[in-house]
Amino acid sequence: MALARAGLESLLRARQLDRTLTTALPEIDPRDESALAPSGITALDARLGGGFPRGQLSELVGLRSSGRTSLQLQMLAAATARGEIAAIVDALDMLDVASAASAGVDLERLLWIRGHVVSNPGMCRDLNQRALEQAIRALTLVLQAGNFGLVVFDAAEAPADAVRRLPFTTWLRLQRIIEGSPTACVLVGTEPMARSSAGLTLKLGSGNVECGARFQGRLFDGLDVQARVVRARAREKEEATAIFSTVASDCA
Amino acid sequence: MPSPRPPVPSPLYACIYRPPEPECRATLSGSPNLSGSPGGESERLALHAIAQEFSPRYERHRDDLVSIDVSGLARLVGPARAIGEELGREAAARGVRAHVAVAGTRMAALVLALARPGLTVIPRGEEAAALAMIPIGILEKIHDDDRARSSHPSTGSGRALMVSVSNHAVFAFKRWGLKTLGELAALPAADLVSRLGRPATMWQAIARGEDIRPLVPTLAEERFESSLELEWPIEDLEPLSFVLTRLLEPLATRLERRDRGAAVLHVLLGLVTHPSTRSGRGEAVEPRETCVRRLELPSPVRDVRTLRTLALLDLESHPPAAAVECVTIVIDPTPGRVLQHRLFTRAHPTPEQLSTLVARLGALMGSDRFGAPATVDSFRPGAFAMTPFATDHDKTGERKACELMVRQAHHERRGQQAHHERPLILSLSKDEPFAVKRGEPPVPSPQPRLVSALRRCRQPVPARVAVADGRPVRVTTDRRGFTGGTVVRSAGPWRTSGNWWSGGSDRSSGSGRLGESGGSGESGRRSGSTGESGGESSVSSTHQAHLTHATHLTSWDRDEWDVALGDGAVYRIFYERDTDRWFIDAIVD
Repeated sequence: MALARAGLESLLRARQLDRTLTTALPEIDPRDESALAPSGITALDARLGGGFPRGQLSELVGLRSSGRTSLQLQMLAAATARGEIAAIVDALDMLDVASAASAGVDLERLLWIRGHVVSNPGMCRDLNQRALEQAIRALTLVLQAGNFGLVVFDAAEAPADAVRRLPFTTWLRLQRIIEGSPTACVLVGTEPMARSSAGLTLKLGSGNVECGARFQGRLFDGLDVQARVVRARAREKEEATAIFSTVASDCA
Repeated sequence: MPSPRPPVPSPLYACIYRPPEPECRATLSGSPNLSGSPGGESERLALHAIAQEFSPRYERHRDDLVSIDVSGLARLVGPARAIGEELGREAAARGVRAHVAVAGTRMAALVLALARPGLTVIPRGEEAAALAMIPIGILEKIHDDDRARSSHPSTGSGRALMVSVSNHAVFAFKRWGLKTLGELAALPAADLVSRLGRPATMWQAIARGEDIRPLVPTLAEERFESSLELEWPIEDLEPLSFVLTRLLEPLATRLERRDRGAAVLHVLLGLVTHPSTRSGRGEAVEPRETCVRRLELPSPVRDVRTLRTLALLDLESHPPAAAVECVTIVIDPTPGRVLQHRLFTRAHPTPEQLSTLVARLGALMGSDRFGAPATVDSFRPGAFAMTPFATDHDKTGERKACELMVRQAHHERRGQQAHHERPLILSLSKDEPFAVKRGEPPVPSPQPRLVSALRRCRQPVPARVAVADGRPVRVTTDRRGFTGGTVVRSAGPWRTSGNWWSGGSDRSSGSGRLGESGGSGESGRRSGSTGESGGESSVSSTHQAHLTHATHLTSWDRDEWDVALGDGAVYRIFYERDTDRWFIDAIVD
């Protein structure tokens, strides 16, 4: 059994596929600021050991209204505040610019790539599948350009089956592109998409309560978000949870 | 026994100054050659031509002032006076009456040429004595030649700054009672610096006739052009890339030697459009049709791969109409980009990388599908604009990094102070990440509040909404992915309307397509149960770079609600008052 496993691993290593099964990603030193991209949320960064790892694919997954967009905009705001150049590949063209500005994103330092989306493709579902593949190609170009501080691939509202139809090698290729680079790449979706290529997966939700939305009287007040680390290949301890709240942009 | 090396000639400089027209007329009345236009091209280049006749090492300070390194000309022409006389004869032969000065230092020759008419020759070592009686006001004439070049090379702002600094210094000297350069040179340097700062050493060096920098030879303008006539026409872009590389490589080498980068890249493709006009030997007998492409580069580039990629991507978007039989590359040069990387700031994508990325994204997505987002001054929900993404962020990046370092140092200092004054114990727990114990007040966090973001539906999703007691209680849609459900909590209504005076309402899609919008004079109002707000707004012209949809002409009048459904999703929905229909506008996420 051990011999079979060793043989399998050597074969995978020969084809540079070893990291799909083993935790060969380099361990991240939490004191090394250049290896981490802080999200700007103190509670979350403390749980993540300093921030999101650079040179790896990270994932933000969760259901609708789980705080994915708020967190990704906060990460973009923190990156641009550090003087970095950031990019967002908006696969379904849903970025709200006013929300980004309210979150503190320096819009001049943000490259926004808007996917071609057909709002109601009818029977022809391939139209949006094509848009998703085109967005992946754009993401590849951005990562190949290099030296972006943070690159976000937002497919949060993409149908899960459309994301699953993307070839598995897509994520492996993307991981290979950014490996060793100073770029933190964050994939946003409803469920994990990069699978074994992902370095860190953060699941967002409202915790035990049924709905994370807060209302005060007749006003919408914000969301209560629970972020749980469900996968962190470069760390020994994977289970960690952070809780933070958002406020409505009118109240910020 | 090795032969002794020839002695190195001692440095000798000449300076030619052509005084302004009135002075020429006054001192040289009757000169027929000065009757032409003073700013003519031939007259402007006359001093350069004279300098080129004597030495390749000359420096053009201005059109009317040239310094020449004439070291070593003694063996060819004669002593310094003979060189000066020869320069004067050459100038006279070209119709230029100029001041000529020859001295052992460039600065002494320059000051003397500016101050004295005719020929002035100063023996080596007597420069300071020769300059001693020159009025101190001469410093105002030489301010922008050396100081501006050393601190702000070839920038208008640097030159203007030096003018003001020079005027200020000369004013100070005159106020002190100094009348000549000799009096300035005699002042103690330490006292002078303590009053006027380090530039005072430069003024004193000029007054003593000492060089404050070496002569920087002016190079002739060079044309960066390369052309290749092909034996067989090329129809595809792939083989053309090899031709472009072959043409661009020597050009890039020349650019590097001259410390230049490409500002504009011209690609001229000779096309095979008239086969009958070619003679039997393959020689074109008529001018061929040419496809001309012009690429303005955002920053100086001399990397062959980048230039080739940009040219090819542009040709992919604008393919030539016929096969190519001649390729010509012309580069408009510009001074190279000087970039000092820092140890403590993160590297950014270089302008070359970003230029290539922008070109590739344009070919993949279309030029209107990427850029930098921008807010617009409008109340229209979801309004935004897109501006071209800047490719040079180094300056702002440095500033931001410095601000961040200062802020971090400030917070660390505050943290240390707080630690000394009242010790805090911060502990991490699962539910309370930063719990403060001992009942101490927490340190104010610099962290901004996390804002609930929206995900906009560019086309609002039609919805069916059940209303009870004036509030939505159930939301359903036919759109895949929006299942809807019972409303658990709701907030609203928030009434917003705008552009109602134009009368152009888009009935087909509820409130029209949300997205790029805005227009001059657009305004709106938003009122709710607790208050009302409104105001005039306008969109600046810079924000209209990518406005592709005329939604700014349509009016809107809606009541907005934030609703939380049973499945946990929170939507922003709106009721369109004109059409009596409901839509999902955004998802709170």
